[in-house]
Amino acid sequence: MNLNQFNRILRQVFLLPVIALLLLAVALFLQIQDANSTVQLIQESDARIAQVSRIEKLILNEESGLRGYENTSDGRFLQPYLDASQGLQKEFDKMETLPGLDAVEKHYIDDLIEKHQLWLDAFALPVIATIQAGGQARDVDLNLRGKSMMDDIRQDIADTTHNAEQRRIARIQLWHRQVRHMEWLLLLLALCVGIFIGLFTRNRMHAVSSAYKTSLDVLGRRAEEIFQSEQQLRTTLASIGDGVITCDAQGIVQMMNPVAVDLTGWSQAEALGQPLETVFHIVNESTRHPVENPVSKVKRMNRIVGVGNHTILIRKDKTELHIADSGAPIRDRTDGIAGVVMVFRDITLERKTQDALLANEKLAVAGRLAATIAHEIHNPLDSVSNLLYLMRNGATKEESVQFMDMAEQELARVTQISRAMLGLYRESKAPVLVDLKEMLQEILLLMERRFTDEGVTVRVDLPSGISVDAFPAELRQVFSNLIANAAEAAGHGGEVRVSIAPQPGFSSNGHKQEAGATVTIEDNGMGIPEEVQPHLFQPFFTTKGERGTGLGLWVSRGIVTKHGGTIELASDTSEAAHGTAVSVFLATKPTINAGGD
Amino acid sequence: MAQEPHLVLCVDDELIGLKVRKILLERAGYRVLTAPDGSSGLELFSNEPVEAVVLDYSMPGMNGGEVASKMRQTKPHIPILLLSAYIGLPSEVLSMVDMYMTKGEGPPVLLQKLGSLLQPLSNA
Repeated sequence: MNLNQFNRILRQVFLLPVIALLLLAVALFLQIQDANSTVQLIQESDARIAQVSRIEKLILNEESGLRGYENTSDGRFLQPYLDASQGLQKEFDKMETLPGLDAVEKHYIDDLIEKHQLWLDAFALPVIATIQAGGQARDVDLNLRGKSMMDDIRQDIADTTHNAEQRRIARIQLWHRQVRHMEWLLLLLALCVGIFIGLFTRNRMHAVSSAYKTSLDVLGRRAEEIFQSEQQLRTTLASIGDGVITCDAQGIVQMMNPVAVDLTGWSQAEALGQPLETVFHIVNESTRHPVENPVSKVKRMNRIVGVGNHTILIRKDKTELHIADSGAPIRDRTDGIAGVVMVFRDITLERKTQDALLANEKLAVAGRLAATIAHEIHNPLDSVSNLLYLMRNGATKEESVQFMDMAEQELARVTQISRAMLGLYRESKAPVLVDLKEMLQEILLLMERRFTDEGVTVRVDLPSGISVDAFPAELRQVFSNLIANAAEAAGHGGEVRVSIAPQPGFSSNGHKQEAGATVTIEDNGMGIPEEVQPHLFQPFFTTKGERGTGLGLWVSRGIVTKHGGTIELASDTSEAAHGTAVSVFLATKPTINAGGD
Repeated sequence: MAQEPHLVLCVDDELIGLKVRKILLERAGYRVLTAPDGSSGLELFSNEPVEAVVLDYSMPGMNGGEVASKMRQTKPHIPILLLSAYIGLPSEVLSMVDMYMTKGEGPPVLLQKLGSLLQPLSNA
């Protein structure tokens, strides 16, 4: 349920009782109106009864006045009669115009008026006339007739009054019924409206309460989910193999996982609130200079940064660990930096393994070289031992001279090979000037046999006089490796090109650049598929199966990097221009990176 | 020697080595044909009544193993002695030849091994 629905329900719950009560009021109003009209009818009846009694009184006044006049013949006694007659006409008119008269009542009134008129005409007026004429009106018959007429009138009045009273009683009963009816109706309607409002409100409240319950459920579930996810993250963080330190944007440590505690030697409680560089004290392995604070570096770069290689973490107890680390920004809602997460791990063991691997590869290279050299030496040795055998078993003088010439030639070959071999182990602590042409020629000489065996043609473009500062044995390892790879890739009938291109200190458009030379080793083999290329410089990646250690290019790159140079590989697998070219740039006066792999 | 000397084919790309080996074998009483590579060796092998082959393993173009397998296809009964400056040649190559020796073991070993290869033939 959203807020709109909730508001609608609120409106409904407010409006509906108001409307229901209004309807109830209308019904009651109608009922009261009915009762009111009944009351009006009762009042009409009352008015009628009163009117009739006034008429009765006047008629009695007439009669008694007339009677007095009859007895005394004195005109003063006639005065009440005259007054009453005068009033009567008015009262009769009033009676006739009274509202709410029905036919029966009208009939009664007309009858009364008629009978009164009859009494007047047939009794009263003749009596008055007789007396005024000086006569007497004491005749019994006449008076009896008058009396009976008056009785008739009286009867009529009594009937009219009775009729009106009956009606009044009936109306009062009607009014009572109406009031009772109204009471019942009120009760019933109140009950209905009450029940209706109750049910409706209950229904609406039910909707609200179920929505509320749903919301509560959802909230509960969310809370549970959040709790679980937090629990999950906490467990993940705790059980992760890397050290994790979280800092705020100012570089103050906020959290460390157990591995971080272990690696830094700072407990969670000690580290909390400390600046990162205190807890996570890192220096460069070779220079021993402090490494830039990862927090400021992340803030400066505004992205994930790998904090340089060859970093040493100085622990709280001043012991040292080789670490690999990276820092990542924690974003706030506006994409600003709310903090920084440092992830690091101990690579001391890894570094030892790496060193071991390097040594291993050196051994493998040496082993392969030894096999090549043995082969190279075995051939001339075989010839020499055959020649010696021939000479010992009786050769003529001319033959001996010829045999010795041949033996000398073969020994010269052995000497040449052993010299090249000596070059391999001329290792010095500091870089020395290496003539690239000389070095490449020596390597090619040693590998000549291999090229002829494999049917590979070698083309060279080696200008003289290009030298760089380097460790010769290591460079030799790189080039031997690359040339051997090229020969293998070129395959039978293929071609390998080895060239040196000098790079002057200024480019053709006058920009300053690093002076040096690029040695390029190309083959016209099948090329390296693009999906394989990214793996080439990884350790243990080999396309040669059992024959390769998978370390050659990895070690080569390490050596080139150490020499402050670069190694690049370009390969094409297309039909028209397949082949691979590896370029090694070496600076003339390089900055040697001691551990630069 | 009552019978015709044995005809031996030597194949090797080491020219001085080949020349010396030819003189050595001729002194030991063999007739010797030489070839500087696999393909010319195979040609001589099929055209001449060669009785034994002394074959170098590492040669440009076609190595000793390939040459031996081609020879086995044309004349499987001719014995082959494989010479090499390497040790640890692939076993499928070794299984194809009658005998194998490394260079530098000395001429007596060569002569003795070649002799033993031809012995059954001379007995026949």
